[in-house]
Amino acid sequence: MTQAQCPSCARLQAPRLFCPDCGAPLAVELDYFTALGLSRRLTLDSGQLETLYHDLGRRLHPDRFANRRAAIRNASLNATALLTRAFRTLRDPVSRGLYWLELHGEKLAADNKRVPPELAEMIFEMQETLAQLRDAASGSKPERENLRAQVASAHQRVETMLQDALTELHGNFERWDASVNPNPDLLVQLKAILSRIAYLRTLARDLERALELHDLR
Amino acid sequence: MAYSSKVLDHYNNPRNVGSFPKEAADVGTGVVGAPECGDVMKLQLKINPEGVIEDARFKTFGCGSAIASSSYVTELVKGKRIEEAMAIKNSAIVQELNLPPVKIHCSVLAEDAIKAAINDWKAKHGKQVEATPADKAAQG
Repeated sequence: MTQAQCPSCARLQAPRLFCPDCGAPLAVELDYFTALGLSRRLTLDSGQLETLYHDLGRRLHPDRFANRRAAIRNASLNATALLTRAFRTLRDPVSRGLYWLELHGEKLAADNKRVPPELAEMIFEMQETLAQLRDAASGSKPERENLRAQVASAHQRVETMLQDALTELHGNFERWDASVNPNPDLLVQLKAILSRIAYLRTLARDLERALELHDLR
Repeated sequence: MAYSSKVLDHYNNPRNVGSFPKEAADVGTGVVGAPECGDVMKLQLKINPEGVIEDARFKTFGCGSAIASSSYVTELVKGKRIEEAMAIKNSAIVQELNLPPVKIHCSVLAEDAIKAAINDWKAKHGKQVEATPADKAAQG
């Protein structure tokens, strides 16, 4: 990586958020791990991440540079924005995984239109029950209650599957961190787990909405 | 974001919603999904022995554009030979429905659903199946 010149003391520095010599923010584009001063590892301690974010946020805060030259003020704004994006992306395991794909030149949607058949089967089945619940608005009370119970239990099942998928995601993260030369299969697996999570989240959201709507009536 | 009037029309009055029996010899089923938004689309085509698409049904769970795209393709493919249907490009769907750039992936999904459904029918009849992007991903 090229060096960055500090807008305050003019020294050349390795790319990071602020100048280690004078503390001024540096105007640089960094990957999110470097921005937070972390090594590229997928398993993160969320407490540590939060501490880093708040410490760096204080040191780079635009208020501290309000009386400085425009170049320094702008660097502070840019560095703060980058820091916030980095924190928000890395804080959540799913968005962290998606960002990891991006760092490896991959996209979730690229060549990835096949829904695992058993998952598709379940989605269509549950959506069918949802449609019945929507259509039963004028039906008898026991009929509606029965359908509501079916949708509620489907929702429970999807939430459990989501939890399992998140556990699987964490396992994938650990395997990345444990390998010096990561097996290309890890990327394929990561993509598959993240896709599964996306389908399950959409389904969970539809089920939740239907339950809320039903209960409002 | 505002939907075009054609998207709204297909969304409010979807054509050919439903399904055919998946096991029927003359039915090809394509299930495709868009993992970036979690949309899932099922397209079924009833194809006669001469390779002409006689009827189509769809079920799509997702945004208005995804529903409109699949509703539109069920109308578009009816009466077409499978070779013609295979040649349908997503750009035709984008144009017809006036989809904005952020919804272009919905039309790609519909194009892939046609290919997947035809390939399913071909596989049932022991015909050579063309590899689709979805197949390549599954192998890779």
